[in-house]
Amino acid sequence: MALDRPLEVLTVCGVGMGSSLMLKMTAESALRALGVDARVECVDVSTARGKQPDVIIGQDMHTSELPELAPVVVTISDFLDSDGLESALRERLGAKGWLP
Amino acid sequence: MVAVTAIGVRDAVPAADWPSAVRAAAGPLVELGAASAEYPEACVAMVERHGPYIVLTPGLALVHARPEDGGLSVGVAVSRLAEPVVFGHPDNDPVDLLLAFSSPDADSHVAALSTVAKALSAGLADRLRAARDDDELATLVKEALTDV
Repeated sequence: MALDRPLEVLTVCGVGMGSSLMLKMTAESALRALGVDARVECVDVSTARGKQPDVIIGQDMHTSELPELAPVVVTISDFLDSDGLESALRERLGAKGWLP
Repeated sequence: MVAVTAIGVRDAVPAADWPSAVRAAAGPLVELGAASAEYPEACVAMVERHGPYIVLTPGLALVHARPEDGGLSVGVAVSRLAEPVVFGHPDNDPVDLLLAFSSPDADSHVAALSTVAKALSAGLADRLRAARDDDELATLVKEALTDV
């Protein structure tokens, strides 16, 4: 079912201010390329636990701690790989009907 | 130029293991007054506590600790290792480039780091690897921090 609001996306890392900020930039670029209206926030793992996002993106060592937190959990290891993230999001968001 | 008070570079840094590499990478921030003396050790502790996720792309580690661990101002330092080290990251080892930063609070570094992220996406890491010496490293880092 299509969302009638911006997609809520969390990028996660251990501290929430360095790696996840880099990943936020990459995620915004990938989501822009897909034409998805999204709000992306970078947080540490414990802050993420208190939220209810639509999508979580992070490295396996963090997303594996948050498997049930969001309908879509995307694990990537290269935080600068915008093309790779775009294709992962195209598949996962497409399956949810969340692509424009 | 985004608000960065200190920019440091170090080339051919000798490091036997990842903690030495992290300490060395954070060193210029202390020398430049952007972080206090305990900051490098806090950066090591961060990896010990949270894992090697700071290796955020193949070969590159983003070294930092929390503002309350001794961040005094927004500083950025790039170090190139004499020999790569292994962090124990499942995909992105070994590491030859370290990018360290400090921030006095949770927000001041955002503009600088976002600018660096864009530059890295546009191939900055490879340009840093190809730099001939300290001067060229410094020029590249300063260019990367210049808003375009």
